[in-house]
Parts: sequence; structure tokens; C-alpha cells
Amino acid sequence: MSERARTVRYPKLEHFSEPNVITTTADFIFSWARSHSVFPFTYGLACCAIEMLSSGFARYDVARYGMEVFRPTPRQCDLMIVAGTVNEKMAPVLKRLYDQMSEPKWVISMGACATSGGPFYDGYNVVNGVDKIVPVDVYIPGCPPRPEALFQGLLELQGKIQQHRFVAEKPAAPETANPAVEA
Amino acid sequence: MGLTVGSNPMSMDAIAELLAERFAGDLVDPRIQEPDTIVARAPREKLKDLAARLKADPDAGYETLNWIAGVDRQTGFESVYHVYSWKTNTYLELHVDLPRERPEVDTVTAVWPAADWHERESWDMVGIVYVGHPDLRRILLKDDFVGHPLRKDYVDLAENHPHA
Repeated sequence: MSERARTVRYPKLEHFSEPNVITTTADFIFSWARSHSVFPFTYGLACCAIEMLSSGFARYDVARYGMEVFRPTPRQCDLMIVAGTVNEKMAPVLKRLYDQMSEPKWVISMGACATSGGPFYDGYNVVNGVDKIVPVDVYIPGCPPRPEALFQGLLELQGKIQQHRFVAEKPAAPETANPAVEA
Repeated sequence: MGLTVGSNPMSMDAIAELLAERFAGDLVDPRIQEPDTIVARAPREKLKDLAARLKADPDAGYETLNWIAGVDRQTGFESVYHVYSWKTNTYLELHVDLPRERPEVDTVTAVWPAADWHERESWDMVGIVYVGHPDLRRILLKDDFVGHPLRKDYVDLAENHPHA
């Protein structure tokens, strides 16, 4: 997890027992909100999908991190979890679905197959890593990764989302002589 | 083997004997391989006729096609038909030898409609041509793929994947 995500202090409910206000930055509040309502796209291709689904059910419960709403359509999603082997016939479909997702969007490559082809590396019909087709934000190793590993990846992604700056940085002021001195 | 099979009104020996007798010349050397499986070979020019007769047989009656396997034996190819009889609750494994330079065999889709996709897969992966198949095209790989990747002499070249 990034340093920044670790050191963020979230306001607690008991701080608001009386009428109160919060002072924060637009960057912080929007990225905080965004990172806690990630809608993953159900893109299970192989055995990793079983771990991905298991992470959604009661035993592991991905809802604790605000990412529970798996959607079967790309138009309602902003996170594609590629869980399984991508083969050449599936590759154009994956690219198309990725293109249909609305911005901003992220991709998690879950497991050895999606990351590099895994045990099927260099197979006659295997894409050696989904990053050959779409940009990947977080790679999760494992064959398949356990739900805890997926959560680690999701938390890494949360940290990454929180680093996003919405407010454009102010351009550096041009160096001019002090008008007060000239006058 | 402790394998429980469905009720079989005939003994395996009786089935093997019946097949050897009734299909003499078409079905070569039927022998018992497993508690519920008989293996036999067949010449490829007789397969179509033989398949229809196997299915229609009143006693053995192999009504169901379970799957077709394409095998590369390097000296030649084999098309293997796994069929099942609900009359005797036993299997028949039918091997058809095909020459390496011209691996062609008649389709059995007219007898067992389930053969359709299995023959397409065998064509896709091993390159066995099923003559008379209603729609013989690739089923798993992309249509523009070049070659048949489960052949022992297949070499995976970049030009085999035109739009990868």
C-alpha cells in the first residue's frame, strides 16, 4: 500500500455528534469517494474467477472495502478484474469491453495467466499477458491468488486512485521584477 | 476395478462375440478393454455404413455418440469414436486409421448429430477432414488461424496468427 493511503486519517462518526464542518481539499474528498465506490466488472475467464466470486460472498466479503457491486456490463463499471487466461480469440472482445467502460477506469490483472500467460505462456492461442492489450494498474501474483491477495490488490488500487489529482497544478509565476519597486 | 455399471443384459464376452459375428469384416478385432468398454478398429471406407448399422443394431444398439477424438500417431492419424449403448450400458471405442498425407474420413453427422461439433474440433486441432460435414470450419481457434496446433509437427510461427 502506498505511504499516502496508509497515513490518511479518515473522519470518524463520533466527530460529528454536534453540528460541525470539515475542511479538506477537493482532491482528497473526491478521490476518497471515488476509491471507495469502485464497481468491478465481472470478467472471470478461468479458475481465478472462482476466487474472485468467492471474495464477493460472505466469508471474505469484498463489500467491506466498498467494492462489492460486481456488474455484468462494462457501462456500469470502472474496474476490470481480468481473472484468467486471455486467449487470442478472447482478446478483441476484452479490448472492446474495456473501450466500452466509462472513464475513469482501471484494470487489475489477477493471477499468473492474466499477468504473463502463466502456465500457458507461449501457447499457440494464448496472449502472454493482458497488458499487451489494455493498460494494467495492479498485478496480483498467484495461481490462483487467494481472496486475501485480491483484497491486497484492491487496496493497492485504492491507494493509486487516491493519488489522483483533480485540480490542475498552478503554473509557476513568470519571473518579473517587483512592480512596487519600479514605481 | 470396482466400477459399477448400469444393468447389462448381456455379458461383455457375449457383446464382443456378437460384434465380431454380426459386423465381421467391418469391425476389426473387437476386444474387451475395460469392464464396460470394447475397443475395435474399422477401415475408413466402411465407417459411414458401419456407424448406421451399429446405431440400428437391435441388441447392441450404440445410440449415443459421446465424443470424437483426433489423434496424431506421427505415422498417421486416427479418428476415435466413443459411442454408448443404452441397451447394454456399455461403451464401444472405434478407431479409424487415416493415412498421414490424406487424413480424410466420411462424416457421421447423419448418424449421430452430436458428431457435428466434435468433428469440427478434430478438424480445428488435428486437421482431419470429415468429408460431407455440413459446416466444417474452425470451432475453437480464430477463423484466420493457420495450421492445426495439436499436430506433432506443428511449429508455432508468428505468421500463423495474422491478427493476434
